[in-house]
Amino acid sequence: MERSYGLLNLIKTTYNATLDSGDYSDWSRILTTYLGKTPEIEFRNHQDTISTILYIIFDDTNSNSVLNMITKARENARSVQEHISRELWLSVNKYYLHLSQDNISAKYKKEDPISIVNELLQYNHIYYSVADISQERGNAYCFMNLGKYLERVVQSIDFLDVRIINLDQNNENLYESYFFKNLLISIGGYQLYLKTFKSIFSIENIIEMIAINEKFPRSIIYSVNKLNIHTQRLNNFNQINDKKLIFLLGKLSSTLKYTTIESIKIKGLENFLKEINVDLNKISISIDETYFNQKY
Amino acid sequence: MEKLIGQYHQYPNTWDEMFDASGGVRSLYQEFSSFLNNIEFENLNQMKDFSNQFFRNQGVTFTVYNDNKGVERIFPFDVIPRIIGIKEWTFIEKGIVQRIKTLNLFLRDIYHEQFIIKDKIIPPQLVINNRYFIREMINLSVPKNVYTHISGVDLIRDKSGDFHVLEDNLRTPSGVSYMLENREITRRLYPNLMPKHKVLAVDNYPQMLYKQLKTLVDKSDPEIVLLTPGLYNSAYYEHTTLARLMGVELVEGSDLVLDNHEVFMKTASGLRKIDIIYRRIDDDFLDPLSFNSQSVLGLAGIMESFRQGKVCIVNAPGTGIADDKAIYAYVPKMIQYYLNQEPILKNIQTYQMDHPDQKEYVVNNIEKMVIKKTDGSGGYGMLMGNNVSEKEIDDYLHQLNKNPKNYIAQPILNLSTAPCILDNELVPRCVDLRPFAISGANKIEVCPGGLTRVAMRKGSLVVNSSQGGGSKDTWIINKSEDA
Repeated sequence: MERSYGLLNLIKTTYNATLDSGDYSDWSRILTTYLGKTPEIEFRNHQDTISTILYIIFDDTNSNSVLNMITKARENARSVQEHISRELWLSVNKYYLHLSQDNISAKYKKEDPISIVNELLQYNHIYYSVADISQERGNAYCFMNLGKYLERVVQSIDFLDVRIINLDQNNENLYESYFFKNLLISIGGYQLYLKTFKSIFSIENIIEMIAINEKFPRSIIYSVNKLNIHTQRLNNFNQINDKKLIFLLGKLSSTLKYTTIESIKIKGLENFLKEINVDLNKISISIDETYFNQKY
Repeated sequence: MEKLIGQYHQYPNTWDEMFDASGGVRSLYQEFSSFLNNIEFENLNQMKDFSNQFFRNQGVTFTVYNDNKGVERIFPFDVIPRIIGIKEWTFIEKGIVQRIKTLNLFLRDIYHEQFIIKDKIIPPQLVINNRYFIREMINLSVPKNVYTHISGVDLIRDKSGDFHVLEDNLRTPSGVSYMLENREITRRLYPNLMPKHKVLAVDNYPQMLYKQLKTLVDKSDPEIVLLTPGLYNSAYYEHTTLARLMGVELVEGSDLVLDNHEVFMKTASGLRKIDIIYRRIDDDFLDPLSFNSQSVLGLAGIMESFRQGKVCIVNAPGTGIADDKAIYAYVPKMIQYYLNQEPILKNIQTYQMDHPDQKEYVVNNIEKMVIKKTDGSGGYGMLMGNNVSEKEIDDYLHQLNKNPKNYIAQPILNLSTAPCILDNELVPRCVDLRPFAISGANKIEVCPGGLTRVAMRKGSLVVNSSQGGGSKDTWIINKSEDA
């Protein structure tokens, strides 16, 4: 669910960016980076854009299409129906049924792409709200959140890795206001950025917000803190006395807490992200060992 | 659709934005006309429905009060954009900058040395007796000598295609949020045409405004707030939009307090000092100690803070005098007086009704004249001589005779028309243009385009939103009509 949310937002802002700049080349990069598919065609016009959006959302041969993500989310939800609330299952199922309607892709062909994505995002929003108000705060809720925040932190790292590191400082579009606006909207941070940094757009400010701003719900530090909270809850609920996972999460959380934009600059963004990726891999393995592959 | 273009009947003696006098499509609209030729009317209606739904979903509404009841309405929007070439826009931009620079110098002058009165360029009574001339501002220096930070200059095009200034709005000009939302919807309606035309962007207006406001104080990170009269104000949507997009707090008078003449905002973490107030309330309601004592919209004592230089108020109090309709007639002379330049943008011939000869001429030619109150706005309190009964004229003149200096008259000009989609037809409707200019400490910036207001009723010249007017997006494109 979290991955589909990220992908839909990416589609929306990429589409917005093409409307502003008339440059359709971003779609190529998205297909390669997020869907692992090297496009055979060159993106030249609006019609190419529509076909690409529909492909990203509906192509059932691509495991990373929104349709397949939601299908998998539904399968997961179906297999754990006794652990999740009835309302939550219904919301995921309804999303799946909507996407898998006959001819839905054809129906959407003539519609405004932003309206299509907004319609789908509504299902994601409903899912989050239903989870919040109907799911008991037990193991299932914590596992859902572990998955959600692991996925989110990966998306934030990808955002910095793919969209920020490779920014061409000589690209004149960079100095157009819409560039930063679209970039920030794609990660849901435009509003907070304006409040924090007003209208002074700089890459450093964006890195700072996405890496270490504790108030930004899509920052790396926010997700890591949440992982920490839910791990501790799980350990309490299940009386698990595991030191390794708590240690790894505490270490990463502390590292991020004492990281500043200056220290990232000294280390280099690429190295900073590499180190976090290594830590995350360890955390991910440790989650698996602690909760799913326990040795008795 | 070709049939529809063929059935387009231009108003006589009127400049049409899309078609020339012989009915040919102007070169700026060539691509757009191809688009219209290839689209089914049903699709245009769908675009219209889509835009209406968009405005409703976004909450882009204004409130109209009738019988003390506020009704939220969508500002009617026409899906066909108005296109202006870069050459013409550059001319307009220069004209606006020249005009705003002049009006600012005028305000500085009349609140200080009053050279313009001493040199007999402007009659003293026009200034001294003007209700917008605020005595509290005399000899008061404003930050960086800027009075008119935000201006919306209304322009119209006459039958020969020349732009004229209809009025200078220097108090709290509104409409900028409609300009932003019109662009937001248009880029979605024309995903192919917009990038192709390389339309100049307007969506950085809030950033432009923030940056220019920042230059007014010598602080790297000043606290700026937007002061609104509140939820029930007709432009409340605009206030929230601007505050959100600038990243500043939206406050009401009750959110502010004074301490030792410093202005503070109440926040959950205590009081926070404010450096700049972008107020969207009129002078009258700004400070009950200085102006309307009944007002609870502003903050008692804020004028004293302003006087002591503790806070910067945007636009400065007292700017209303420079957009008064009687003063308007003198702007070309002001430009020559202060800048020693010829006016770039023309004024409309204006007759002072307290001048017996001019009044006589107006009364004798009333069917060709529009009479306006000098302090009127929103299209209220005016008389269109070509469209009223004799009794209405007599009643109006009776009122006018009680205080003729409060009235001016202008010839009725045929506003230019632009094609609109109305009742399943492509029809001409009168339009004006309100570009928005922002003055900071060092420069004046004009946002490319502005709000094109449309008189939605057939033959009407009234474009005001409160009187059934609508709007359309304005595209400034990097191409010229002559090319």
